[in-house]
Amino acid sequence: MTLKSTSRKKAIHVMLCYTGGCNGCDIEVVNALLSPRYDLEQYGVMLTWNPREADVLIVSGVVTWQMLEPLKKIYSLIPEPKAVVAVGACACNGNVYKNLVGDIKVNEDVWAPVENIIPVDVKVPGCAPRPEEIIQGAVKGLPKLMGAP
Amino acid sequence: MTETSNEKVIEKELSFGPVHPALIEPYRIRLFVNDEIVEDCEININMAYRGIEKLLDGIPVEKALIITERICGICSHVHAWNSVRVIEGGLGIEVPERANYIRVLTQEFQRITSHLIFFGHAFEVIGHETLSMRAFLLREQFMDLLQYLGGNRVMPSVPIIGGIRPRADLTESLKKTILDRCDAFEDKYANYVQRVLDDPLVISRINGIGLLTKEDAIKYHATGPTGRASGWRYDLRADMNEYKPFDFNIIVLDGCDTKDRVVDRALEVVESLKIIRQIVKNIPEGPVVNRNWVAKEMPFTTAYSESYRGELMHTYGLDHQGLVRNYQVRTPTITNLAAMEHACIGDHVTEAILTIASCDPCLTCCTRAEVVESGKSRTMTDYEIVRKYGWRR
Repeated sequence: MTLKSTSRKKAIHVMLCYTGGCNGCDIEVVNALLSPRYDLEQYGVMLTWNPREADVLIVSGVVTWQMLEPLKKIYSLIPEPKAVVAVGACACNGNVYKNLVGDIKVNEDVWAPVENIIPVDVKVPGCAPRPEEIIQGAVKGLPKLMGAP
Repeated sequence: MTETSNEKVIEKELSFGPVHPALIEPYRIRLFVNDEIVEDCEININMAYRGIEKLLDGIPVEKALIITERICGICSHVHAWNSVRVIEGGLGIEVPERANYIRVLTQEFQRITSHLIFFGHAFEVIGHETLSMRAFLLREQFMDLLQYLGGNRVMPSVPIIGGIRPRADLTESLKKTILDRCDAFEDKYANYVQRVLDDPLVISRINGIGLLTKEDAIKYHATGPTGRASGWRYDLRADMNEYKPFDFNIIVLDGCDTKDRVVDRALEVVESLKIIRQIVKNIPEGPVVNRNWVAKEMPFTTAYSESYRGELMHTYGLDHQGLVRNYQVRTPTITNLAAMEHACIGDHVTEAILTIASCDPCLTCCTRAEVVESGKSRTMTDYEIVRKYGWRR
């Protein structure tokens, strides 16, 4: 294990990018990362709002037209190696907003799933996923960061 | 402005968003500042438009209920409940008494969690992380109760047309859990509020800023706790049939500033606890769902409900096949927006975000379709077309 990966293990920075869902997953992520019950900070995982510091990008919500360019820009600003976690059914497949099995047609106002726009490493399904599942998803993305030279 | 003056003041614009540390939700704020004093404010909310009205057009009412619950993730129950109330009012479907009690119970659980999110967010903006964390810890008890009742923390999916889902029925063991949790919560919550109000640092940040007078609150139609903190006595719960059996107070304060908006929500949580205790004590026995109804043609019907942030409106009609037509939603934040913009004016630029946060915005659920007016021509919404020409043109 190199010095870089050892030091990285002690300070994983997670950034939350909220691209227009219903606010439920967003609050559950903040709840999982910050709140005293599901405290991720005790394991050295911290929430940051600066893409230059971040290692893991959590994307929640269907991607609306207005949030398409900001999401691409934020992804490009995060330094390598990086992992992307898609939290919630909206980010995984579009949920009810995409209208995949709907009666009329697929909704063209949204860009979901997030895979269409940026590469996704871990998917956390559920509407809304429990905080335990979000923590599990964030942990699953770590080997990609650790394996880096 | 006279050009003779030596110090020529340049109006500067300060804009943040849509992704910014100070804003959890995606929206854009433009502050026009003059020497660090806000002169004008503009909030652009159109970042989360998902086309919900278009999705809801032409689907069966039972399916529409699933989508309306997902309009907002904080106030999911009240959206589902209010969309159900539209068809119950329009077709005259009777709701069992026990179902109404459980709907109100879920509503008050979510009101408490919503107000505690408000504390968490507002104190994070102030910079007092301890109070923010304690609000999130207190909230977990009611998230657990929502999970026990509905099966999901965020989307409990309690109401269906004609009653509630049978799995969300209140059992004896759950009644005991609710009372225990409420007792434990009340002590901790009283300590928490006392700690907030005794803290000179917090009070110095929130006292006397973000003034919104009663005249302005009525002019801009500030609903919910935002309007009530400005001395406007307006709470739909006083008139709603579902709330008739319960005894509770409507909190009206006349301080008109950010401190009173915080205190108003803090006192409303105590009133919600009072309602929860009355429900658990007085809940009648009986069926929880009435399945004797058929979807048939229904004229436009409107239902108003008191959401956690203010007045909520849902409107739709059913066509001759029983499909939903022209769904319209007006969420409380959309009427509060003008009040928020007005309340920022005249304060220091650091207090602008705090003032906006103190009105408790939920920008994702208020992003609706817009009518574009350019000059003289104005496009008609579908609702207006149907009002004018009818279904079968």
